[in-house]
Amino acid sequence: MDLEPNPDEQQTIDAASHFLRKSLPVHRLRGADEGRFNPSLRAQLAELGWYGMGLSEEQGGFGLSVVDETLVFREIGRSLGPIAVLGISLAAKIAANAGRSELAASLIGGELSVAIAVDDPNRETALLFEVEGADLAMRLQGGQAQLLSLKNATITALPCLDKSVSMGRADLGGLTCIAETAAAQIEILGRLHAAAMLVGICEATTHMLAEYAKIRETFGRAIGSYQAVRHPCADMAVRGFASRAQLFLAAVSVRDDLPDAQMQVDAAKALANEAATLNVDSNIQLHGGIATTDEHDAHLYMKRANLLVRLFGSRSVLNSILLATPAQH
Amino acid sequence: MDLDYSDDDIAFRAQAREWLTRNLPSEPRPPEGHAAAEWDCAWQRKLSQAGFAGINWPKEYGGAGLSGVKQVIWFEELARVNGPHQGAMGIAMNHAGPTLIFRGTEAQKSFYLPKILNGETIWCQGFSEPGAGSDLAAVKTRGEIDGDHLVINGQKMWTSNAHHATYQELLVRTDPDSKRHKGLTWIICDMRLPGIEIRPIKNMMGERHVNMLFYDNVRIPLENVVGNMGEGWSVAMSTLAFERGIYFVPEQLSLIEKVGVLTELARNTRLETGKLAIEDESIVHRLALLKAKTLAMRALCITTVGSSRQTRQPGPEGSMVKLYVTTVYKELAALAADLIGWDFMSYADDRTSNRWTYEYMWSWILTIAGGTSEIQREIIADRVLELPRSR
Repeated sequence: MDLEPNPDEQQTIDAASHFLRKSLPVHRLRGADEGRFNPSLRAQLAELGWYGMGLSEEQGGFGLSVVDETLVFREIGRSLGPIAVLGISLAAKIAANAGRSELAASLIGGELSVAIAVDDPNRETALLFEVEGADLAMRLQGGQAQLLSLKNATITALPCLDKSVSMGRADLGGLTCIAETAAAQIEILGRLHAAAMLVGICEATTHMLAEYAKIRETFGRAIGSYQAVRHPCADMAVRGFASRAQLFLAAVSVRDDLPDAQMQVDAAKALANEAATLNVDSNIQLHGGIATTDEHDAHLYMKRANLLVRLFGSRSVLNSILLATPAQH
Repeated sequence: MDLDYSDDDIAFRAQAREWLTRNLPSEPRPPEGHAAAEWDCAWQRKLSQAGFAGINWPKEYGGAGLSGVKQVIWFEELARVNGPHQGAMGIAMNHAGPTLIFRGTEAQKSFYLPKILNGETIWCQGFSEPGAGSDLAAVKTRGEIDGDHLVINGQKMWTSNAHHATYQELLVRTDPDSKRHKGLTWIICDMRLPGIEIRPIKNMMGERHVNMLFYDNVRIPLENVVGNMGEGWSVAMSTLAFERGIYFVPEQLSLIEKVGVLTELARNTRLETGKLAIEDESIVHRLALLKAKTLAMRALCITTVGSSRQTRQPGPEGSMVKLYVTTVYKELAALAADLIGWDFMSYADDRTSNRWTYEYMWSWILTIAGGTSEIQREIIADRVLELPRSR
């Protein structure tokens, strides 16, 4: 009974964090390509094994667990790393579950890009994220998780609030489904990993603000010595602490296939949604004017959080939590 | 990370569950007064005889010497059957006991600890004063050495259960020239000593469990000092860290159950709009988020007692847990108040007259007592985020 990362899990965290800081620092979002996902990055991440972490060795994966995967997504969130990893890793699971082992191997090997498709209740067409150069789209539809070929799709590119993520619209109606599996397991993983990235954002913004509060002075002293700043910082830390604890509990519940895993993941997402929304807000407010500028990183976290809050459930998770019952011990 | 109970844990849970089904008190606890305190002591005595008192206290001091996980299992089983809270025994079990184990002399431990575990003695706290609440280091109550005694003069505030207690954890200024944190001493005060006057304070819920205390030349033997003379601040900080640690576990677990009760209530209660509360999406979303937060409390609980935790002394994360739990408690109480509409107004100065109206008021006690939410934020800012000091 323990919710602290063990030495192996800590190694997973350290390795991911080291790679992201060294190779994908946040300032890459200010480069010419605005930090978009691209084939060379896709191949680089395949070498790290990031697309097959949650799959067993028989399925072509690396025999790590969904807990390790969750820890890596938390680091991706913290560094505003590519959310394309989510689409590709979920696609690999769909392919593996559907018995399409060659397709799974191509996905794990970084040969294909996958857009995440979401239904828009106000439009006929679906919205696609990480759509630039995508070969496939993954979507949840009628209880099934499907991989659709985008070969013949007509995609209208759209500007995305989060410029590091490519966005587009397409009518998915006539596209060929090349693999499908039950949606439940895929949705739960998508939700868990979106929550993990949000928890990373919660922690990153708390750290960013606390560091600034130590050096920025006003009225002759550091702003971190004013209670008007200290107390919201403390609230940010507490929200991060609680949502991380629930994230870890949810990840272990999924790994061990506990009967209330779904509810725990829904709760993790609901908490991460709330915590990240409030933390990115406080981060901007307490940095002050500088954080409203394009040159500051605070808005990048706010924009990414807004995408992740909407992805894999915001209102819908709240509706399901109440109906579920915790497991009995 | 794992959520596995060991075979031992599973056996312990079964044993606790079985014992509870046979031994839960048949009479309800009196709402307050001496009868309530006696009822709490009787329950403690029963726990002690069955080996369920001081589950995570070391064996050499009469505890069961079991893990924090088993302590939490016990609280879970207790919550499952809506079993008794520690009530008047709370300070003895969660404050005084752990503080003595951590900082007391062997003589103090062997004298006081068994009397706590077997429900013989109720303890009360003696930290806050009229001018020293959040600013605890401003304590003014004096302790002057006279031979082998400390002579106490001054006033304490907000002392729960002082009128039932045998002993008190008393924080006094023993160096008159000292300022702030230095020159304080933590001493065990026998409440039966002459010179102590207890005046009850009626709270807004209509109950009288807190008191104002006056000390007029109260003579306490020096052997009652815990830690050394002048080390009172550090001993008091140990005490408070314990209060903010596992002390909140039963509160956390009771919240999970309360969300369930509120959800049931929402199915049977109509709002001003005429709709059932459960058909109102804003109510449903607040309930769901509360449920998610109570689930996170179990996760926090495991985080705090998990098997990789080596130290017995809780750190500043106790402040994070306290702030989180009490904030959620307040959200729950506010939601209940919204939900019950006009029924909220029916209250007769007694907790049994209206559970939810009582909870609504009680939630302020939680966010103020044991270090206000503002003080917890200060501790988190200093010790977790390492921000520059505000004072």
